[in-house]
Amino acid sequence: MAELKEITKKLKEIHEKIKAEIPWEPIGHTPMPEIPDLRSWDMKLLQTYKPFYAPFCDLCCFCTYGKCDLTEDRRGACGIDIGTQQARFVLLACLMGCSAHASHAGHILDVLIEKHGPDKKINLGTSVDLEAPNIRTVLGLKPETLGDLKIAIEYVYKEIAHLLDSTHMGQEGSCLDYESKSLHAGMLDHVGMEVADIAQIVGFNYPTSVADTPLVDLGWASVDKTKPVILFVGHNPATSTVVVDYLQENNLYDKVELCGVCCTAIETTRYSARAKVVGPFSRQLFFIRSGIADVIMTDEQCIRTDMPQEATKAGSAMIAALDKAMYGLEDATEQNADEVVKKMVEEKKHFAILDPKKAAEVAVKVAMTIAPQRRKEWITEQEAMELAKRCSLCGMCEQVCPNLFDIGKGISEVAKGNFDVIKEIFNLCVGCGKCEEECPRNLPIFKIMQVGASKETWKMRTGRGPVMDTEIRTVGAPITLGTIPGVVAIVGCSNFPDIRDIAEIVDEFARRKYIVVLTGCSAMVAGMWKDADGKTVYEKYPGDFDAGCVVNIGSCVANAHISGAAIKIANIFAALPLRANYEVMADYVLNRVGAVGIAWGAYSQKAASIATGFNRLGVPVILGPHSSKYRRLYLSRKEENEWKVMDARKRQIVETNEPSPEHLAYVCETKEKAMVMIPKLCIRKNDTPQGRGIKLNHYISLYKKYMGGGLPEDLPLYVRRDADIPLVYKKEVKAYLTQIGWKPKEPVGLPTLIGTYPTKVPLDSVIH
Amino acid sequence: MSQLAPSLPFHRVNILTGTRTARLIEDPVEYAKQIAKAERPLLVLGPRLMKITLGGRLLIEYALDIAKAKNIPTCATATVKSKMVELGVKPDSVYDVVEIINALKDPEWKGVRKEGNHDLVLFFGFRTDLGEQGLSVLKHFAPHLKTMTMCKYYYPHADFSLPNIRKDEQWKNILEGIVENLKKE
Ligand code: SF4
Ligand code: SF4
Ligand code: SF4
Repeated sequence: MAELKEITKKLKEIHEKIKAEIPWEPIGHTPMPEIPDLRSWDMKLLQTYKPFYAPFCDLCCFCTYGKCDLTEDRRGACGIDIGTQQARFVLLACLMGCSAHASHAGHILDVLIEKHGPDKKINLGTSVDLEAPNIRTVLGLKPETLGDLKIAIEYVYKEIAHLLDSTHMGQEGSCLDYESKSLHAGMLDHVGMEVADIAQIVGFNYPTSVADTPLVDLGWASVDKTKPVILFVGHNPATSTVVVDYLQENNLYDKVELCGVCCTAIETTRYSARAKVVGPFSRQLFFIRSGIADVIMTDEQCIRTDMPQEATKAGSAMIAALDKAMYGLEDATEQNADEVVKKMVEEKKHFAILDPKKAAEVAVKVAMTIAPQRRKEWITEQEAMELAKRCSLCGMCEQVCPNLFDIGKGISEVAKGNFDVIKEIFNLCVGCGKCEEECPRNLPIFKIMQVGASKETWKMRTGRGPVMDTEIRTVGAPITLGTIPGVVAIVGCSNFPDIRDIAEIVDEFARRKYIVVLTGCSAMVAGMWKDADGKTVYEKYPGDFDAGCVVNIGSCVANAHISGAAIKIANIFAALPLRANYEVMADYVLNRVGAVGIAWGAYSQKAASIATGFNRLGVPVILGPHSSKYRRLYLSRKEENEWKVMDARKRQIVETNEPSPEHLAYVCETKEKAMVMIPKLCIRKNDTPQGRGIKLNHYISLYKKYMGGGLPEDLPLYVRRDADIPLVYKKEVKAYLTQIGWKPKEPVGLPTLIGTYPTKVPLDSVIH
Repeated sequence: MSQLAPSLPFHRVNILTGTRTARLIEDPVEYAKQIAKAERPLLVLGPRLMKITLGGRLLIEYALDIAKAKNIPTCATATVKSKMVELGVKPDSVYDVVEIINALKDPEWKGVRKEGNHDLVLFFGFRTDLGEQGLSVLKHFAPHLKTMTMCKYYYPHADFSLPNIRKDEQWKNILEGIVENLKKE
């Protein structure tokens, strides 16, 4: 009885928080879900897509009982086994990622509430009524003001604390429960990201409800080094936007050049299209070592931890503008701006300045004072050749290169005046600086590489924020029927095996009339390639959310608009209520929305949580080869697994024998293999014969292109009836199917997992 | 020249795996013996085999020589199948590397020839980082089989590994020696 009272009390509190009295939709089964609330959905997913663990290390060293050896069925002193230890590690990674976004969201929200007040209305333009699909689905709250977003972020904070608690020594003992918790963290991450980006759009007046956003300059060569240069590094636009304001208010914008590395560059161009995008994280150290930036301003996430040392080496001034990374610097927030400027110029000191206005003033003044005295030129080819002659081909650089290539070979060719090799390997370089650190001859490998590296400039379309409701109305039907063969979401960081892969993947799938969406570093890198007519993918393809288009959604936090678009299809197109109705949304996406994420260069913990959040929502993710180091994938075994779903029309559980989507988190070693996996992972049980035919057409044609001809080994699993066979390959496919004794199978009327596992959600909820 | 320790991982990003590390074998006779002892070996072919040449021949040709010498079934990962087709050889199976490892983990799996799961798996031609992670999966979760590598780097997570080899000539001799000795076994 007491327990029941407790539950009712809790529900009442939740109802208050989500303003249950406002009846915009009925409230679903999981308002503000806690750890156990979506566990059955997770377990259902994990039954098909089992965790696949690749331990980095045999040991655990989390507490003072250890190190514990976990090989050969040994358990740690606390009782944990090697699989569960990996799962715990993955949860920690997801929590780091989720916290990074949530804390970014909380910070920017405070800044903007201070500026505009908590009652500032959320208005995302004329074409976006469904402003916050993740928040509405997860919490059951329809946020109307900036103040409402606080409710969402406080919920995320609370859940993070519970999840983090579970990683403490001697608690959770099941890898599956840890996975469920990781999926929870991933879902929360999408809420946090959504809060951040909505707040930014509203508070900074970013473009929204428009597809044709401006094209901005991309590449380090686009930075005008004759002017004082301020470089922003990180993710949080709280500082860069204020610098833009300061320059405008003081009529200085023509005199100072602003540029950015990583997501803060995307954010800054959403605020001012005049800012330049240097490139992704992998270009950060290169650009800093070039010394072109007079002042470097750091905010948070994906900034190098040796920034003050690197800035000093390059003769640049540096300001740490957010408390996340203060680098041990003196906090000058309360000091007089002109005195700080003086110390920075005369004593070459770096400072932390946490007041954005003061930081902006100091940055501009310092940049304008020191710029005329600094040499900001690349070294010449002749200088590079002379330096390269010192290389002894010792091979130390190769041994430490995380992308596993022989940089010394390129350097030794430069010594002979041949820059071709270094140009080629520059595309593989992830910019970590390990080679230069290790070189016994102290060669400035970066400077030498930069001589050979691209001086080209490109264009990137600025991030456009949420997919419009009007666009969803147009593409909802073709996506769920399969006639638009898929949504390909290329997201995440720049730990690419080869930077050129991204533009190639974008071009291949945009040409094939998929909808291609991009965020973060991947969105920048997509622009760093030109076709024969000299056009980047952003100039070649329109920016709408439609077949054959290429959309830059925005920075990392804009990933929430991609999951949001999937939810919008279920809610706007299929008219399924989303309020506190996560399972219904995720079930719809898994079975009917042919979307796939590609995190080809994922390195960050944020990428781990973003991907895991997509997974809980039913979106499979392909990762690049480095991502095996995340330690966990979600793989099915197509021949061994059951592929049962409920046919909601017949109210019957049916065995489809169709592995769609085949995996939830998958690593490909090469771009070519990814090209074949992408169309396959867009196949859904809901496809009409016409849609399936189109999807199989791409699967077969890409298979032929990259696998040396023939037909995919698993093709028969995806052909339900004759009508599914693409016309172009009809004869060949039919002959093959006859040869292996393929039998047609009944397509499923309305595929759903609801009704196949214990859940409070009634089957009728998925019928629209 | 730097010190090239024979039994520390070549690419240092993979360093220090823990308590159990591969047995380092340099002698092709011994290597061939280990392979010949296996009842149901499997050779898993990675995409680097299509990119690297050794003594004027593509690495994949050495791999196929090994397979042929002892009738070892092959598994083509990534897009290796395309090269095999070009060379007129049909792979016994096509799986991506994470998929074949996922199957190998299962002791009940029937193997690529449906004769039962494999007892020795030879890996050849993968990125060292991905290869190491894959070998770690099998080291921890597939006690029913042994793993072996053919690349010129030391792979600590394997059961048997070649050492780090600086000179291609030495590597070529080892690979050719393995083929010769397999034919004799
Ligand atoms: S957390 Fe457990 S396994 Fe890890 S060191 Fe402590 S006792 Fe050992
Ligand atoms: S900076 Fe580039 S070349 Fe140097 S070790 Fe890192 S990835 Fe390799
Ligand atoms: S570490 Fe330095 S000296 Fe050695 S090969 Fe590399 S660039 Fe040359």
